[in-house]
Amino acid sequence: MSEKKVTFTERIKSQFSTKSLVLIPIAVGINLIGGTLCSALKLPLFLDMIGTVVVACLSGVWVAALCGLLTNVFLAMAANPVYLPYSIVSIMCAVVTGCMVKAGFFKKVWGAVLTWLACTFVNTVSASVITIFVYGGSAGVTGTSVLTATLIAATKNIAASVLSTSMIENLIDKGITFLIAFVIIQKIPKRFLSQYAADTDDEEDGD
Amino acid sequence: MATISNTFIPKNTVIERLNPMTKIFAIFSLGLGTLISPGPRLGLAVIAGLFGAAWLAGILKDFAKIMFGFGIPVTAMLLFIQGCYHPGNVTFIADLGFAKVGLEGVRYALKIISTLLVFLGTFYIMNKTTYPGKLVAALTESGMPPKAGYLVLASLNVVPQMQRRMSVIREAQEARGVETGGGITARIKAYIPLLGPVIMSSLTDAQERGMTLETRGFGIAGVKPTAYVEVCKTRTDRAVNIFLTAFFIAVVSAAVLTKLDFI
Amino acid sequence: MGRIILEVKDFSFKYRQTKQKALKNISFQVEEGNFFCVIGANGSGKSTLCSALAGLIPHYFTGKMSGRVIVDGISAGESTIAELSQKIGFVFQNPFNQLSYTAGTVAEELAYGLGNRGVSRRMMMEKVEFVSKLMRIDHILDKNPLELSGGQVQRVAFGSAFIMEPEILVLDECTTQLDPAGSEEIFDIVKELNKKGVTVIMADHDMERVARCADKILVLEKGRAAALDEPKKIFGDPEIMQHGVGIPDYVEITRALKEKQYTDRDIEIAEGPAIEMVREVLDRCKLN
Repeated sequence: MSEKKVTFTERIKSQFSTKSLVLIPIAVGINLIGGTLCSALKLPLFLDMIGTVVVACLSGVWVAALCGLLTNVFLAMAANPVYLPYSIVSIMCAVVTGCMVKAGFFKKVWGAVLTWLACTFVNTVSASVITIFVYGGSAGVTGTSVLTATLIAATKNIAASVLSTSMIENLIDKGITFLIAFVIIQKIPKRFLSQYAADTDDEEDGD
Repeated sequence: MATISNTFIPKNTVIERLNPMTKIFAIFSLGLGTLISPGPRLGLAVIAGLFGAAWLAGILKDFAKIMFGFGIPVTAMLLFIQGCYHPGNVTFIADLGFAKVGLEGVRYALKIISTLLVFLGTFYIMNKTTYPGKLVAALTESGMPPKAGYLVLASLNVVPQMQRRMSVIREAQEARGVETGGGITARIKAYIPLLGPVIMSSLTDAQERGMTLETRGFGIAGVKPTAYVEVCKTRTDRAVNIFLTAFFIAVVSAAVLTKLDFI
Repeated sequence: MGRIILEVKDFSFKYRQTKQKALKNISFQVEEGNFFCVIGANGSGKSTLCSALAGLIPHYFTGKMSGRVIVDGISAGESTIAELSQKIGFVFQNPFNQLSYTAGTVAEELAYGLGNRGVSRRMMMEKVEFVSKLMRIDHILDKNPLELSGGQVQRVAFGSAFIMEPEILVLDECTTQLDPAGSEEIFDIVKELNKKGVTVIMADHDMERVARCADKILVLEKGRAAALDEPKKIFGDPEIMQHGVGIPDYVEITRALKEKQYTDRDIEIAEGPAIEMVREVLDRCKLN
């Protein structure tokens, strides 16, 4: 292959090939199936990120982020618009997971554990922030004093939730999510997986 | 298993016939207008208007369910938090014993709630009265990338299909005598294996679907895609747009004037 | 001899991370207006070959490729799939994956490809009407494509390929969802289009159909071209069974009759004449 300097935008563009694009709605579906399954089984879990994690492994950070965003857009359109602001949570989780997968964390057990913990943390914090800023507190429009007060309230809330059951629940939830995603990635046929590997001629023939 | 799907039911109402872009403009004009206006009064008036629009669109019952389902708990929570602990509280209107309720906080809470409800309500009405294909066609015409349009529509179509596939497998599983009840571990054991086949088959399907799109000319360079769904602008659209623009300008100027008065 | 519309020159392809080449040194030419069939056992490379013709190899599937595919003067490797889609229509095995998943109605589904080409709405409506009548799906134009039966979806899939008015139609085992009657109906349409000058390239397991329709047959075995000839030659060759290809029973019967010298006619590869031949032989036996 000719050596080309690949710019940032080109790299993002190459992630959004048709191959990756068609994966996104399916990943959104996987996310939601996890959720409906949990509610059908009356499990106190969400499992609404399995698809995002799988896509992060197959197609990269930005596709995963888009997948997170679309999951919430879908929920907003199909179920309740209240889900829309939480798309930021989905996007942030996807970006964190995607970056760590890209850095190779998902190949080793300790790396997967680290990804799991990081994702849980980001999820808990960002979800609390959205809840407080959009739905629970002032949006900081009226001045700095209010903003400070809200921030204190926010951090208090986060600290509380970190120690509370919600964090533990989240931890279990993401743990199972990553476990399922991990198993799925292992089970996907190699020939299929290879189509999503970076489009470089890294392997040479051996027949 | 409950399936989540976008349930657009054609009712051929005035609201439904509006151009989707007009409805999107309404979300921003009404929502931002409420946000800018100083007190909660305008927001409450807009909400009353939205109930009227929902009635016109024939979705009053569902609309009320969403608005009250979200509005009541949030109102209770915000009134409590902001009413008692808003930093700007000076005029106290009640004493709960452990805290005093301030008028400023109550006003502030009401304003946030009304803004949220206006955004929620307009989005809900837009969504429920617009055929998704028409929405995406209108957005694409206004410059949204066709790939984004594909993603929205495909998600709306793929998800219910996957859910159906899931429930088919589930029913088969139940017919074979797999326990639905039992302890949590038993239920997980029974259902997590269901995920596998659905996910796997969907992923392998994705590859063929991508091929299909490509062979049907998806993303031909230099062509502006057209849609089969007709999107037109009527006289009503023009009238509504003028009204919405006027509303927004009026609110902004009113807000500026009140600000100037304080100086 | 007609104009060469499709040419495959010494084409080989290996998917990433598979050890074996999926196709090895395939070469053939297809004349305009021909009905060209590709047969072979499962895994012999039929689908891979079809993908290569539509430009999906090398643009969609990455791997190691050599040789060339030239479609109507354009090298598939050097143009885009979208560009090739103006010339080639493709119908896959699974019709459910042939849907765009963007359409709420069958009419929108049919028009999807036209939309990608930027065709005006009025033109779309005309073509949708024409094709839906041709495929006998005009009564379900307002239905959701995802709620149709397999056979109906198959018709929609065919319709969405026809509506693009391709010069070449590539059919990759495309009638799996149809009952025998329905699939015959579709093939009547395909044959009609073929008569009107559309070149058809079909990979199929149904040997009776292949025997009936094909002008020329390519037999693939483990990625290699095992034979390339006219149907009579292919089915007349007793060795063909070794390539994992089944021969229609009636062809076998006529060959047996010929070998045992019950008749001096050549083997028959169409059902009607074959039955005629058997009758003839039986009549003669009676007389004797």
